[in-house]
Amino acid sequence: MNTKLSTNLTLLAILLVITGVISIFLPEHFLTARNFASMGRQFPEYGLLSLANMLAIITGGIDLSVVSVMSLSGVVSAQVLSRWESLPMPAGVVILLGILTALAVSAVCGLLNGTLIAYVRVPAIIATLGTQGLFLGAAIIITKGSGIGGFPEPFLFIGNGNLAGIPMQFVIYIAVAFLVGLLLTRTRQGFSMQMYGSSPLVSRFSGVNNEAVLVRTYLITGLLAGAASIIVISGVNSIRPGYGSDYLLISVLIAILGGTDPVGGFGTALGLTLGIFILQILQSGLNILGFSPFFKKFMWGLLLVAVMVFHHFRRRYTQRRAAHRASTQREPAAGGASV
Amino acid sequence: MRTSILKRNEFYLLLVIVVFSAAITVVNPAFFTIENLFDLIRSSSGMAILAVGFFMVLLSGGIDISFPAVAIVAQYISVNAIIALGIDNLALAFAIAVAIGIAFGAVNAFFISVFRIPTLIVTLGTMNIFHGAMLEFVGTKAINAGQLPNCFKVFGLVDILSLPRGDGSFYGLSVFFFIIVGVILVTWIILRFTVLGRVIYAMGGNPEAVKRSGFNLVRLQFFIYCYVGLLASVMGIMHVSLIRYSNATYIINSELLHVIAAVILGGASILGGTGTLTGTILGVIMISILEKNLVMLGLSSYWQQFFVGLIIVLGVSITHIQKRLRARSSLALATE
Repeated sequence: MNTKLSTNLTLLAILLVITGVISIFLPEHFLTARNFASMGRQFPEYGLLSLANMLAIITGGIDLSVVSVMSLSGVVSAQVLSRWESLPMPAGVVILLGILTALAVSAVCGLLNGTLIAYVRVPAIIATLGTQGLFLGAAIIITKGSGIGGFPEPFLFIGNGNLAGIPMQFVIYIAVAFLVGLLLTRTRQGFSMQMYGSSPLVSRFSGVNNEAVLVRTYLITGLLAGAASIIVISGVNSIRPGYGSDYLLISVLIAILGGTDPVGGFGTALGLTLGIFILQILQSGLNILGFSPFFKKFMWGLLLVAVMVFHHFRRRYTQRRAAHRASTQREPAAGGASV
Repeated sequence: MRTSILKRNEFYLLLVIVVFSAAITVVNPAFFTIENLFDLIRSSSGMAILAVGFFMVLLSGGIDISFPAVAIVAQYISVNAIIALGIDNLALAFAIAVAIGIAFGAVNAFFISVFRIPTLIVTLGTMNIFHGAMLEFVGTKAINAGQLPNCFKVFGLVDILSLPRGDGSFYGLSVFFFIIVGVILVTWIILRFTVLGRVIYAMGGNPEAVKRSGFNLVRLQFFIYCYVGLLASVMGIMHVSLIRYSNATYIINSELLHVIAAVILGGASILGGTGTLTGTILGVIMISILEKNLVMLGLSSYWQQFFVGLIIVLGVSITHIQKRLRARSSLALATE
């Protein structure tokens, strides 16, 4: 069977079972509009970072700098946004300028990552480890370690408003995830990314410009982190470098949970989104049951390892089945040859 | 064949360290003193030990990011156990910590070797399992100098050499120096003179070849990750003795970044199989000087993170460009 379909069906089944169990045991707390609204507000910021890491992992890399890119573009954008009263232009223009600044900074960060990985050929894990320090360091230097806040009122709509009763950031996440899905399934870039992730050599000999594909990949991961920064600073009306340092683990965890192949070549936006829902609903359940954040940390680690062990057994099972099928098909042919 | 000294990464790193130290000395003569050297050894000994462990994992083609979590959990449980037992004994403290470190290393090795999960993913998971479990089930309360058992405080203050300052007071070389030298020596002997060590190098180059030569990869991985766990736990005890404060939640990520930076700058390849212990030690010296002495150059501590990141990016870029140029020139020779 199609691996894409079976992975996503497994995830959907897990999601339904978890939702069902929690709904049965905690209906009065879990099945409320308020709980769902709060879940819809919580996950988009790390959801976007997870999409970013999924794309990097598909190409056989990883982006350890996503949270730092988010910090830096948030901080620079906040420099513009927090001065809205003194700038000689209407608040609307300042907001637009702030958003563009965040995206521009994140694009520059992404291009730097991409150049290091594609042209200097530094392994992604090391390149982004270095830039992680660099970007966060730059954010700390700009703010001197403290927070910046006080943005124009309409800007806060992104992180606090509703569109037809649905949290605004949820709408943004779904739109972005849809675009990432289109990128992976409908564009040459998406196809090249998956081919490069499976085998850089095959990709090169198929006439793909590997370097350009990689630079574009990290440009996109940077932009996704920039988009996350806009949601974050709008949601809390301030930014502090170092915010969301736990998101790095979570973004990798979700990418793997969502069925992305950890060695590259495969991953879907739908699977990732199902993975986020599973994690968010588990988190909500644990919150309602009164577990501490430490227990959640423990759980996420356990979940990551458990998913990988599950993948190990599934891979072995499919390999064995394939071997079995091959041997049963070969037998009559071998018998025919001996006659 | 030995590579000429001018082509070795270690030589350039040493050159950078010398130039950088000279620059700091010009700005601030207080840098180039025995007292500052002793201070540097004391404060960076923990990082050196972690770096030696990380270097070995990297050589074998893996990566372990759980060691800061192992260090924290080992020291915190050890300190708590010593307080609860009421036996103020440093050997016991080490024994408890080391047992935890080796056990955690075995957990990592189990998932890595038996289930063949990528090492980065396993240790990303286990670092959260170890730290999260400790915070949930053991405790979160910090233990300050007043409550800390005496054996730790004494251990942190023991000097093997004391020199007088101008005003009659003394400064000394910490006993930690013996521990680092011991760890480096043992690791060097393992890597250089034992079959085990040569196989670890070979594993990073080509694990399949090692397997086909009849070596048990599972057992090798258990050794490597348990060794890292052991070193991390030793570092944990040294750290708590040095700062006289046992913290359950202290930020572990910055230490991780610095250790990885030091080892990578030392010339070890993230892909395994290449690198030297000398390079790792030089990398540690470079990062420690950078980390501890930027203030001496008059830069505020806000710049530290940025500089460490910059050094990693520049360092790895230069080594990778060099490697490509070398590959290109050897190709040109071959086609001539």
